[in-house]
Amino acid sequence: MTDYGHELLFGTFITPTAQPVHQAVELAVVADRAGLDLATFQDHPYLPKFHDTWTLITYAAARTSRIRLSGNVLSLPLRQPAVLARSHASLDRLTGGRIELGLGAGAFWDGIEAMGARRLTPGQAVSALGEAIRVIRAVWDADRPGPVSVHGEFYQAEGLKRGPAPAHDMSIWVGAYKPRMLRLIGRAADGVLPSLSYLEGGPGDYATINEHIDDSARESGRDPARVRRLLNINGTFSQFGRSFLNGPAEQWAEDLAGLALEHGISTFILATDDPATIEEYAAEVAPAVRELVAAERP
Amino acid sequence: MTHPVRFGALVTSVAQARRAEELGYDLVAVPHAPDDGDDWTLLTWIAGQTEKVGLVATGLDVARGEPAVLGRAAASLDLLSGGRLELALTGAHLDEVTGIVRGVLDAGETGPLRFLGEHHRVPKAQRGPLPAHRIPIWLTGNDQQSVRLAGRLADAWVADLERITADELATAYKQLEAAATEAGRDPEEIRRVLIVGPGLSPAELTALGADTFLVRAAELPGLSAWETLRDATGPIIFRPSSVRAKRRPGIDYDGVPAGLASTAVEPGDLDYARVRSTYMRGGAPGLVLRPRTTSEVVDALAFVRRHPDLPFGLRSAGHGVSGRSTNDGGIVVSLAAMTTIEVLDESRRLIRVGPGARWTDVAQAIHPYGWALSSGDYGGVGVGGLATAGGVGWLARKHGLTIDHLVAVEMVLADGSVVRASDSENADLFWAVRGAGANFGVVTSFEFEAYDVGDVGFAQLVVAADDPADLLVKWGRAIEEAPRDVSGQLIMGPPRPGQPVFAQLMAVVDNDDPETIIEQLQPIAAIAPLYQQNVVLTPYTGVISNAAEGGYHQGAGEPVSRSGLIEHLTPEFARAAVELLASGAVHWFQIRTVGGAVADVPAEQTAYAHRSANFSVIVMGSSKQRVDAAWAPLTAHFDGLYLSFETDLSPERVEDAFPPRTLARLRELKHRYDPDNLFRDNFNIKAATR
Repeated sequence: MTDYGHELLFGTFITPTAQPVHQAVELAVVADRAGLDLATFQDHPYLPKFHDTWTLITYAAARTSRIRLSGNVLSLPLRQPAVLARSHASLDRLTGGRIELGLGAGAFWDGIEAMGARRLTPGQAVSALGEAIRVIRAVWDADRPGPVSVHGEFYQAEGLKRGPAPAHDMSIWVGAYKPRMLRLIGRAADGVLPSLSYLEGGPGDYATINEHIDDSARESGRDPARVRRLLNINGTFSQFGRSFLNGPAEQWAEDLAGLALEHGISTFILATDDPATIEEYAAEVAPAVRELVAAERP
Repeated sequence: MTHPVRFGALVTSVAQARRAEELGYDLVAVPHAPDDGDDWTLLTWIAGQTEKVGLVATGLDVARGEPAVLGRAAASLDLLSGGRLELALTGAHLDEVTGIVRGVLDAGETGPLRFLGEHHRVPKAQRGPLPAHRIPIWLTGNDQQSVRLAGRLADAWVADLERITADELATAYKQLEAAATEAGRDPEEIRRVLIVGPGLSPAELTALGADTFLVRAAELPGLSAWETLRDATGPIIFRPSSVRAKRRPGIDYDGVPAGLASTAVEPGDLDYARVRSTYMRGGAPGLVLRPRTTSEVVDALAFVRRHPDLPFGLRSAGHGVSGRSTNDGGIVVSLAAMTTIEVLDESRRLIRVGPGARWTDVAQAIHPYGWALSSGDYGGVGVGGLATAGGVGWLARKHGLTIDHLVAVEMVLADGSVVRASDSENADLFWAVRGAGANFGVVTSFEFEAYDVGDVGFAQLVVAADDPADLLVKWGRAIEEAPRDVSGQLIMGPPRPGQPVFAQLMAVVDNDDPETIIEQLQPIAAIAPLYQQNVVLTPYTGVISNAAEGGYHQGAGEPVSRSGLIEHLTPEFARAAVELLASGAVHWFQIRTVGGAVADVPAEQTAYAHRSANFSVIVMGSSKQRVDAAWAPLTAHFDGLYLSFETDLSPERVEDAFPPRTLARLRELKHRYDPDNLFRDNFNIKAATR
């Protein structure tokens, strides 16, 4: 049993398809009205079938009123840390604090390189992400005197002006699976965001994820509870329970409550582009998981 | 002056942007986001909360990221905002950045973008997404180098009257013109954007020589004082010389009638990528006219009449296999904007539909009334092409062809006259339209009588085809013996070495009782061992909502497709069909069911006359020569063909499509309605000679 005591959040993972043009925005509106907590979008700037994710997030933010939004996750190699910091802070101020920063070290290097960015080794990518987080936090730290000063191997931000600060204490959630990145998250990030479909051993792999993060957090003097545990999930609503996240809403709720209580996972982001599924997830699953988890918590 | 005068407002909040939109400003320009925020984010936020005003961020520093990513972001914002974006760039190496951004936005160009500059290298980026309109790129900078760069590359050059005197501005405009001329451009192509204070009179503004004024004011003024400047210049379509250079010979581009000019697309236009090709056919037409009303169709046909030597294609939704709805260097009249679907008389289930609507849209629109209308097997097919040829669809055996429920049309004839045709008005034309419509005119609206259809059974089965000839015969027999509720199709591919041979069987049962559905499907499912089965109870919309949404056709090359109508799937036909499959010449072999209600209609009642057939056979391949050779042995078994799936242009195919008496009558009518053969590009019926 692991529980970090986080408030439970439920979100959607919406394909940022550029055709039909407004499909992704309309799904975010559906999620907003249905009462979900989060609308998130993947980021693959080398693929023209998708919208530019930041532009889409901003436009969707303008068309929704309550839901929080983030990348899931934004591709750091094709996004400047200082621009990420300022753009997220700007939108956070415009939306009254509805924005979080989902960040990834880069996944498809052929595509990244094809767009003109530099190919990094996995080790370099982890270091670059660590430097990026320092730059981002330094830009957000608007009240601190003097300019930003980060001398990294990958990012040099010397004399960069600080600000704006986000409207709320914005989280940096990082997509990660491997020990080095997980340790970085334990030291420096506010959340870990893997996809269940990439966990080779299934949900049980989350125990290892937690172990790396928790150890690293403690070593650097942080409370492991400062790192939110998120998970992208896939599932199918069906009349009779057949397998994990394939069954009626009550079965989903039990499956997810199990993950929350077993591994301390507190944010479940469902990949779907179907409005009815979004609505059912919001109306039937989310409250039931909250209830089941609340009953078990001290 | 070439460009109409526009007014923009400098804004730094959504409230100011909305105010500018209310006041009628053409543009809102974000000079910088407050508190060192991000300009692009603020501009996108404004885009999401305004409706029609143009959008630009005048201080966007290109150092914010890879130029290729900036190009994608620009395309996204332009798409999301409905084509309202203009892109102003500042910073270093703007020549390279502009090249990369344009390269990404030019999604209609073939091949990936490769740009190897001194400062920016893009090894192999995919292009796109295609923006909603050609995004003008603005450059800035008062120094001579910047001005010259703008003259060479930009769509607009921006100056700020707080930072430049009127005299310096005049000099800069001369430099701009000179640089443009040196680069082989028409200097008039470049818009002159000027940031001004609120107090200037129309005369003062005119004297400055700019065409776009961005007003900097704490309290945004109304536009009434400057209205005269805007009235003086009407909206015009402006095509830079780079666009005009791609025009094709023999087309009177400047003579396109005014109403059509605003929506016409020529080869250099951004929208060309969206309209040049069809679902299965690559094309390069010289001009695509997109009428929105019947009177614009009249104008379009008048224009086409003036170009008798060019190919002329008529397109509804561009799905057609046979239809020459694109061409090379000719004119296409696209009816895609004529998508009205309306109920005329609920008690008679009478609906009126535009030719550009797609069948999935028709199905969705009439589903709430409990009605349906059988069309083809794919929802992305347009109304016009199908409803002038036949319409062999998922409910054919129960309800007949689509044309069997057509009660009237409005159409534009070759001479430009607009007529109505039905059983009681122009009855002979109405007869001809139902099967040979493409030869007689442009139908601008169809009136159909729909029918009640509840939930239907939709079965998708995969069966073993170890003895494919036997399977064909058994399936044919099972279909012929099945109640009329059942319509469907069979699909087989060429045999592949080392893989089991199978066939896909699909069927729709027009009955909402699950037990009856299973009962009616049972004899079909029993013809061979089942590999897979999936049967669902669904509204008809669930069967026809299979069209891809969004996007545009990107067909390439020429499809090769042959069609034959056959009464029974005899063992002799089946053996010949199996040999055809074994030849490897075709990659698609499909048999659709007709018969039933289709055969209830007397052959002489419509121009579609081969009513006795129970099956429509379709093959597709890539080599015309090989497909024709493999198809030849089958032809003895056929009685007629269905034009919509035939691509062979030999005159004999017209004789296959129409029995002699039908064809003779069609030729008489062609002589009467289209003696000069305006409608010539698809299975042309030769006018009877007198």
